Amino acid sequence: MQTEKQSISLTKKILQAISDASLIPFLAILTAVVLGGIIIYFVGGNPLLAYRGLLEGAFGSTKALSETAVWATPYIFAGLAVALAFKGGLFNIGAEGQLAVGAVFSALIGYALPEWLGFDLPTIIHLPLAILVGMLMGGLWAGIVGWLKAYTGGHEVINTIMMNYIALNTTSFLLNGIMKDRSPTNVIARTPLIAESARMPAIFDGLRVHWGFILALLVAFFIWWLLNKTTLGFEIRTVGLNPDAAQYAGINVKRTIILTMALSGMLAGLAGSIEVTGLNYRHELGFSIGYGYDAIAIALLGKSHPLGIVLAAFLFAAMRNGASRMQFLTQLPVDLISMIQALILLFVAADAIIRYIYRIKAKGERVVLTRGWGG
Amino acid sequence: MKKLYFVMALLIVASMILSACGAGAPTAADCAKEEVFCVGLVTDVGKINDKSFNQSAWEGVQKSNTDGVADVVQFIETADAKDYAKNIAQFGDAGYDVIVTVGFGLGEATAAAGLTYPDVKFIGVDQFQAWQFTEDTADDSANVTGLGFPEDNAGFLVGALAAMMSESHKIGAVCGTDVVPPVWRFGEGYKAGAAYADGMNATTTEVFVVYHSDVGFDKTFTDPEWGAQTAKSMMDQGADAIFGCGGLTGNGAITAAAQAGKYAIGVDADQYLTLPEAAPRMLSSAMKLITPGVAELIAAAKDGSITAGNFTGTAGYAPYHDLDGEVSAEIKTAMEDINAGLLDGSIKTGVSPVKP
Repeated sequence: MQTEKQSISLTKKILQAISDASLIPFLAILTAVVLGGIIIYFVGGNPLLAYRGLLEGAFGSTKALSETAVWATPYIFAGLAVALAFKGGLFNIGAEGQLAVGAVFSALIGYALPEWLGFDLPTIIHLPLAILVGMLMGGLWAGIVGWLKAYTGGHEVINTIMMNYIALNTTSFLLNGIMKDRSPTNVIARTPLIAESARMPAIFDGLRVHWGFILALLVAFFIWWLLNKTTLGFEIRTVGLNPDAAQYAGINVKRTIILTMALSGMLAGLAGSIEVTGLNYRHELGFSIGYGYDAIAIALLGKSHPLGIVLAAFLFAAMRNGASRMQFLTQLPVDLISMIQALILLFVAADAIIRYIYRIKAKGERVVLTRGWGG
Repeated sequence: MKKLYFVMALLIVASMILSACGAGAPTAADCAKEEVFCVGLVTDVGKINDKSFNQSAWEGVQKSNTDGVADVVQFIETADAKDYAKNIAQFGDAGYDVIVTVGFGLGEATAAAGLTYPDVKFIGVDQFQAWQFTEDTADDSANVTGLGFPEDNAGFLVGALAAMMSESHKIGAVCGTDVVPPVWRFGEGYKAGAAYADGMNATTTEVFVVYHSDVGFDKTFTDPEWGAQTAKSMMDQGADAIFGCGGLTGNGAITAAAQAGKYAIGVDADQYLTLPEAAPRMLSSAMKLITPGVAELIAAAKDGSITAGNFTGTAGYAPYHDLDGEVSAEIKTAMEDINAGLLDGSIKTGVSPVKP
């Protein structure tokens, strides 16, 4: 009897916690959608038709669902990357660049390794290798910033932005140069197609959703486990909340900062690797633009919780994916989607507005997402 | 009381949204019907109003609408290259009759969609259909038409214009590598046009055409510094009109010419609109006339005369814009005559399709 009561109250507590955590984001989304509708109305569109298009485009058919999952996959990885850094008290704005680094190296391993070796590799070796190299290079790229932060105090916000420029321009240089697809009719900056053995299979025939999506969900669970059930996760969170206290408690703060950044970069690199091996089978300059920045929004909206990030990634994916259907039905510019996304973020970030509109009292302590500029 | 205000506000918003309901006419819904002729356009990554290929192609689609050829026209802007196939499918699944895809980047997605939607006619702007020239028939397409352009005619027009406008009788062209056939045709057309103008006016114009063939493919179109340097050395030798043909390399040359106060001549689209730093001195541009080309192909798709493979559209030259006052009436008339001659075939550029 006693234990049953306890378990009921525990379930209740968990449900309460979930609803507390999701209330503000939910209301923010609702408010943004209503405001977006008003804006659509004023630019001469039909808000209901627009939202119908958005929903149809995102969920209206198996193909639409598959495409939403395709969009969600890199968002989950990149969102986790930013969130993990948040937890460690670091603001990783460099997911965009780390993603590009991961994509470039996965593509390189994907198309060039069989040439270098002179023989074809089996999928069971080639594919994991391509993903692993991309992931590790993303981690290395971000790890440099972590090292700079730990040993020189260089602020990670500045450095990740700078590293983005280096990564993206180097990518452009490589894709226009030594890594460019040499087929005679090609004029655009892209790598050759990766070998069949480096490609991730689709889950269902005829749909583009691939095993990378499942991997993304597994990794989200892994990150939750890492953060909450392991010593390393505890150290990351402790350093994130208060590095001085962490130092005093005997945690190697410098090592933790570097590790956090490297892990974050590995997740972002993974986003790029999976896009190459699972979806595009090459890297091209037009692919994956802005995912690293969307990821910051996703991490904020998901309150840096892996489950929240999966949900937020789905929301963003649905909006991005449904956008073409929306434009098809209404001829409204796809930029409206970015605007609604921005409104959602605005309301999540400035939750006082939402609390004021809906008369919700602040409960408990505020979640500290990241420490300010003072570091 | 405050709550009441809030409820009222919500009601007002709701009524606004509901009132908007009846407005939209779902014309696209009729595209599955045989008698409704629908044309959809998918842009390359970028906006519909890019003042370049996307916009010109969309204007062509709109023209087919106002001409009464197409009943419903619609576009989708591609935000990410991975959406190419999905955006094409929006139109394919809705029963559109013609789908226009803009730019080389959509080539593969268009070819694939051609197989998925065998009843739809595809128009690929700037998509060279290589299968037409291969022995292998396995990848032959039955419903994809690539819209290309006679670059030699475009080069011919601006070459003649440059020769007529030049006071020093020295003109230059800075181009990408001549290994790429369209670039070769632009450059050689330019020479031929200048020679034609000389024949008309009994002048002797010295033409410098330099191809950036000394570097690899990675560099030849993306070297504005080299373009500017080459243009400067031409101007040092007295050239007072520079034609830039070859991506950023050409843009470097055009900009250098404009900064030196010489005549700058653009390529592909009307670069007066896309290269603001050179606009004040932009004499004209060697243009691929995408708008009429697209409209023509849509009309051909409707009456069934369209054929898969490569279709050659028409070339032209851009308006003089700011320099309109400097171009004399005689030269304007001469340009119109040359253009007409190229169109009706009485003037030939004599340029071979590829570098021999």
